[in-house]
Amino acid sequence: MHGLQKQSVLGDLRAQIAAIEKRPVLAEGAAMLRETAGAGFLVAPPGLMHEVHAEETRNAAMGLAFALGQARTLIKPERPAVFFMQLMHEAQQQGLPYGAGLASFGFDPHDLVFVRVKTINELLWAQEEALGCKAVAAVIADIGGAPKVFDFTASRRLAMRAASGGASLFVLRYGAGREASAAQLRWRIEPAVSGEMRFDPRAPGTPRWQVTLERNRLGLAGKTHETSWLSWKNGFELAGNRKRPPAGRVAGRGAALPGAVPAVLGRRLQQTA
Amino acid sequence: MRLVAVDRLAQQHGLTSRQSLGDARALVPNLIAREVDHDLLTALFADFADWHSYASPIVAVMADRASYGDLVLDITGVSYLFGGEEAMLQRVTERLAQLGFAVGGAIAATIGAAWALAHYRPGTILASGEAETLFTALAELPVAALRLDAEQVAGLNRLGLKRIGQIRDRNRKAMTARFGHGLVERLDQALGHIDETLRPRLPPVEHFAERRFAEPVGLLDDVLMTGRDLAIRLCLQLQAAELGARAFHLFLYRVDHKVTVFTVNAARATRDPAHVARLFAHRAERLTGEFDPGFGIDMIRLAAGDLCRLDATQIGAFERRDGTEDLDHLHDRLASRLGSRAVLRLAFVNTHIPERSECLLPADETIPVDPEAEPDPDRPRPLRLLPQPELVEVARAEVPDGPPAGMVWRRIPYRFVKVSSPERIAAEWWRDDFLLSTRTFRQPTPEEIAERKSREPIEEIKRHPIPSRDYFIVEDEAGHRFWLFRQGFYTQATMPDWFLHGVFA
Repeated sequence: MHGLQKQSVLGDLRAQIAAIEKRPVLAEGAAMLRETAGAGFLVAPPGLMHEVHAEETRNAAMGLAFALGQARTLIKPERPAVFFMQLMHEAQQQGLPYGAGLASFGFDPHDLVFVRVKTINELLWAQEEALGCKAVAAVIADIGGAPKVFDFTASRRLAMRAASGGASLFVLRYGAGREASAAQLRWRIEPAVSGEMRFDPRAPGTPRWQVTLERNRLGLAGKTHETSWLSWKNGFELAGNRKRPPAGRVAGRGAALPGAVPAVLGRRLQQTA
Repeated sequence: MRLVAVDRLAQQHGLTSRQSLGDARALVPNLIAREVDHDLLTALFADFADWHSYASPIVAVMADRASYGDLVLDITGVSYLFGGEEAMLQRVTERLAQLGFAVGGAIAATIGAAWALAHYRPGTILASGEAETLFTALAELPVAALRLDAEQVAGLNRLGLKRIGQIRDRNRKAMTARFGHGLVERLDQALGHIDETLRPRLPPVEHFAERRFAEPVGLLDDVLMTGRDLAIRLCLQLQAAELGARAFHLFLYRVDHKVTVFTVNAARATRDPAHVARLFAHRAERLTGEFDPGFGIDMIRLAAGDLCRLDATQIGAFERRDGTEDLDHLHDRLASRLGSRAVLRLAFVNTHIPERSECLLPADETIPVDPEAEPDPDRPRPLRLLPQPELVEVARAEVPDGPPAGMVWRRIPYRFVKVSSPERIAAEWWRDDFLLSTRTFRQPTPEEIAERKSREPIEEIKRHPIPSRDYFIVEDEAGHRFWLFRQGFYTQATMPDWFLHGVFA
């Protein structure tokens, strides 16, 4: 059996066992993170709570892009849905995910379920409810302000829900402040000058961001990566690694990520490729 | 001003409805007249109609003829529950009379005949539905009993046709020519020659379970507990019929003639009592303020709507789990607590105009999939779109129609270092509402309107009233990427507006 194939089969089996035992995949996740950290960009295993911080709401799309990129690796046939939750009155400030934009980003817009609520309490309830569902791959919660209700206790509840349910939670936050939270991983996303457009040097090219892992309860924190998102390759790529061919790239499939499960990644793109 | 309704005392003094107020005051100087409150009447009749669904599933309000409204019950097959038609009529009218309303009621085989008798011979029960019997009963009534317009009645009276009996055997063509189609139609409806349908206020139900209480209950917990019991009974019924339902209505009949309805919807047909009960519990949490038992609830009914065939399925061992059922249940729970407009999925519309190319539909509805409308992944589009494009100040480009050099958005200045070539999106002239309006984006201030009026519209704009948009992808020094568009063109007299429509990843 080919080495990579073997690895992905093993990974699948591990996830299945974890699902059967209903055990948090944290220990496993730590090992996986350590494994992937050296080779390329971190791909987080399911069942974790992430906080994705952007400096301002004008960077909202970057946080969302990062969360979607991570969430997409978690989509499996038996876990088909990703939830996006937002307070209704914050839609104008941060913007609503746009179907055509999702498609050009490489995320199937039909996988995304929108939950639009009026109050933060409803948002917390909806997150908890969705994380408990066995068919949800990830929940992305867009929280614009710094609501008092969303404190350490609330985040602890959510983190435990995520661990027991096996879905990942991405909380998108804005601003420079950091509140106490039980999230296992905390990322900071900053804009970076885009890559080059092949046919038009004056136009913006491949989107790039600076991604910093500020906190990692599973070990290994404080590393800054400059990351590109390559939608046609379906994955993150470290901007420094551009010369080398991406490690996980199997012919016909589009995984640029070590540790990611290639068959799941590019469902739509396989058909178009 | 005319009288709309008169009470008994006024009738004894010779007042009638449709009399002018001046005449009435001349007859009875100390008359108490109140202006009619149509909204109140409508609401009251709606309450009555809902509440009377305890007696019959099909209840309607006819507001087209009488100035206050008529309550119509289809009692086919239900009168035996009350011990016959006579007893039913008496019970229904008595309950209303006890509340202080003047009630007239009648039972007949057609809506027209029942209306005529209720208004002119209250208390009549006409069991037979034959045209001859109906005609004999109606023959002596005035023509107004046919639910005619005031002009039609006046016209007939002018010709000396005052009783229904006088008009039946007239030449129908001549009557239609003179009084319109309505007259003949009303006559036929009253005599049962043509059918008339009721529009029931509440959805008709085939499967329901109900419980009547000896003592009225008032606590929400009691209601929910009863709802759970009823759900078990109803779901057994559905199981026997091999049916599943997608909507469940919980009717709370209050002692004081009001009905509250709680409705929950399921994404897929179900007959799982635990799921239904949970949905109602979530629904109740959302609307504790709406729950008002008044003086108590004396009957609760759980009805299943939107039925469809549901065969027995294997659960437990050998079950195939693909997650869709879990997901549907999650949608139901979220929608029952947050409202059906809270859980949404994207549906695409076949248009180039960005904000119209997709809409959010409730997740429990079937999302139409139009392959033509699916977005093209090769086209660069922002990951987040602002629901309302925001006006930005743009430094004038070096050349007209050229790319912008910088902007001020939300009070922060940006200088662009990378700008894509424009993508022109024009209005769709083949549609009715094709204009790309700027009106929805921003309400112009009065000064701006005055300024625009003072400008002379030039020929170019007169010939092309449809503005198009040029979209640019721009990036500033730090790497923020935006989607900007210019609405319209630079001309000698006009400066087009620039809007920010989305942000890229």
